[in-house]
Amino acid sequence: MKVKDLMIPIHDFLRPDVTLKDAVNLLHIARRDADKQGVKGLPVLDDHYKLIGILSMRDILKAVYPSYMSMMNLGNFTWDGMLESLAKRAGAEKVAAHMSRDLWTVQENDSLMECVDLMIKHDIKRVPVLDQSGKVVGMIYERDVFNTITNAMFDGRPGGEK
Amino acid sequence: MTADTAAASHQVVMGWPFWIATCLFIGAYALIVSEKIHKTIVAIFGAALMIVLGILTQEEAFHSLDLGVDWNVIFLLISMMVIINIMKPTGIFEYIAIRSAKVAKGEPFKIMAIFSVVTAVVSAFLDNVTTVLLIAPVTLLICQALELDVVPYLITEALASNIGGTATLIGDPPNIMIASKAQLDFMAFIYHLTPVIIMVLIAYIISIKFIFGKRLTVREELKERIMAMDEREAIKDPVLLKKSLVVLGITIIGFVLHGMLHLQPATIALFGAGLLLLVSGIKDPHHVLAKAEWATLFFFIGLFIIIGGVVKVGLIKWMSLEVLKITQGNFFGTAMIVMWFSAFASAFIDNIPYVATMNPLIIDMAKQLWPNLSGIQLLHHPDLMPIWWSLALGACLGGNGTAIGASANVIIVGMAEKMGSPISFKKFMLYGMPLMIESVIICTLYVWLRYYVLNI
Repeated sequence: MKVKDLMIPIHDFLRPDVTLKDAVNLLHIARRDADKQGVKGLPVLDDHYKLIGILSMRDILKAVYPSYMSMMNLGNFTWDGMLESLAKRAGAEKVAAHMSRDLWTVQENDSLMECVDLMIKHDIKRVPVLDQSGKVVGMIYERDVFNTITNAMFDGRPGGEK
Repeated sequence: MTADTAAASHQVVMGWPFWIATCLFIGAYALIVSEKIHKTIVAIFGAALMIVLGILTQEEAFHSLDLGVDWNVIFLLISMMVIINIMKPTGIFEYIAIRSAKVAKGEPFKIMAIFSVVTAVVSAFLDNVTTVLLIAPVTLLICQALELDVVPYLITEALASNIGGTATLIGDPPNIMIASKAQLDFMAFIYHLTPVIIMVLIAYIISIKFIFGKRLTVREELKERIMAMDEREAIKDPVLLKKSLVVLGITIIGFVLHGMLHLQPATIALFGAGLLLLVSGIKDPHHVLAKAEWATLFFFIGLFIIIGGVVKVGLIKWMSLEVLKITQGNFFGTAMIVMWFSAFASAFIDNIPYVATMNPLIIDMAKQLWPNLSGIQLLHHPDLMPIWWSLALGACLGGNGTAIGASANVIIVGMAEKMGSPISFKKFMLYGMPLMIESVIICTLYVWLRYYVLNI
C-alpha cells in the first residue's frame, strides 16, 4: 500500500493570518470524511497554496500554555480560571504565530513505512502529502495507518473490531 | 618615576608579532561586540589563530599561568553549574519563590522588594543568569495570578541579580576572574565588597519603592490565588534536596575557609560537585554534565588565550603605560577612573572580555609602579587593593546600565518578549542607567571613605 491509497484528500485548510478563534471554529466544522465533522489539525497554506505549517490541537494547547511554565515545575501553583483567561487572550492571536513550522511531508508514491518513520521520529500524528509540483493534496492520519496495521495483522479480514 | 616609565615603555617591541596579535585582539573584540558571529565561535577561532600564527605556543596557551587559560575560573564555573543542575529538579527554587510571594501576602510592592532581595542573595552564591532563570519564571506566574504588569518585576530582578552577584567571589564571573588573577580569597570579597553591596541594595530597594511603589495595585480577591498556593508541593525530591543542601553548605563553608586551607576556590567547588554527584545517586552523569553551559565555558577558554597573546606581545603593557601617563601615580584617581570607566564600559560591552583585559593591565601597571616586588607582595600592594575592588564594583554593577550590559538582562528581555510585554533598549536604560549610576556613586563614596580617608 502506498501513501496515495490511504491519504484523505484535503477539503479545508487555514490561512496564516486568521485568528486562533476562527481557526478553532474551522477545526470544529471541517469535514473529516463524507459523514464526520471535526478534525484535530489542518494544514496552513499561503496565497500560492504552498504548505507553510500545520495547526493542531496540540499547537492550540501550546498557545495557551505560558512559556515560563515549561522552564520550571509550576503546575502545582496554578489557579481556577487561569486556563480560561489565557484562552481568551490566545483567541485573538494569529495562526502564523502558533502553527508548527517543522514540516515533515511525504509524496503520493512513497511507502506507508516512510509515514510511520516520520510519525515516530518527529512525534506527529498527521503527515501532509505533496504531489509532484509540491502542492498539498492530502493528509495521512495516524488512525488510518493504525487501521492498516490492524488489517495486516488479520490478513485483511475484517477482524479488528473492538 | 617619569624616567622609569619612559625607560620601561621602550621595552614594548612593536614588531610583527605585536601587530598580528593586536589585530587579532581588536578583530575578535569587534566581532564579539557586533554580534554578527556568536561570541564563543569568535573566541575559539581567535584563540586557535593566536597559536597557529605563533604568537603563543600551545604550551603557553594551555598551561601558562600568566598567558594561558585560567582553569581556576573554568573549573569553578563548571562545578557550580553541576551543583545547580543537580539541585534544580528538587523544587527548592520554586519553594523559595512561592514562599517569598506568600510572605509578602500578595502585596505588589512587598513582592517586588522581597523578590529583589531573594534574587540578590541567591545571586551572591550562584551565577546571575542561573538565578534569574530560577526566579523569573515564578515571578511571571505570580504576576499573572495578580494581573500585574510583568515588566517592572523583571527589570528589578535583573538589576538585583547584578547587584547581589557583586557581593562575593563566586557571585559574578568578573569577581571569579579578578580573584584568580589577583589571588584574593573568598573572605576578602566578603570583607571588602559585601558591606558596600548591602548599602547599594538598601538604596536600591528604597529607589524602586519611589519609582514603582505607587503604581502597583492588586485587587484583594486576586491575593487569594497566591495565599492558596502551598509551597511545600514544590518539593519533588526531599531526599535529594537534603543531600544537596548539606553538600552546598559544606561547599560554602569550604569557600569561607579556602584561604586558610590553602585551597583554590575551584578546588572547593570541584569537591562540592564531585561529592554531590557521588551522594545524589545519579547513575549516568551524562545529562547533568551536558547541561553545563558549554558555550559560556568555551567563550572563557578562547578569551583567555586571546588575552594571553596580547599580554605576551606587550599590547597590554603598552596600554598600562598609557593609563599611568593619565593617572600620574595618583592612586585614588586611578581607582576612580577604573571604577567609572569599568561601569560605563560594562554597560555597553560584555564585562567578561573587559575584565579579562583589565586584569593583566592592572598587574602590568603594578609592575611598572613597584618593579622590585613580585607575587603576593605585588598583587596585594596596599595601594593596589582599592583598584581591584573598584574594578570589581564597576565591572559588575555597570552591567545594570543597559539591556545588553549583563547576561541576566539579556535573558530577562528575552523572557519579557516571549510573554508579549517587550522591554525596549530605551525602556531598560531609563530604569537601569540611573540606578546603576546611583550604585556606583555609593561605591565611590565607600572606596574613598574606607581606603583613602579611614584607611581600613
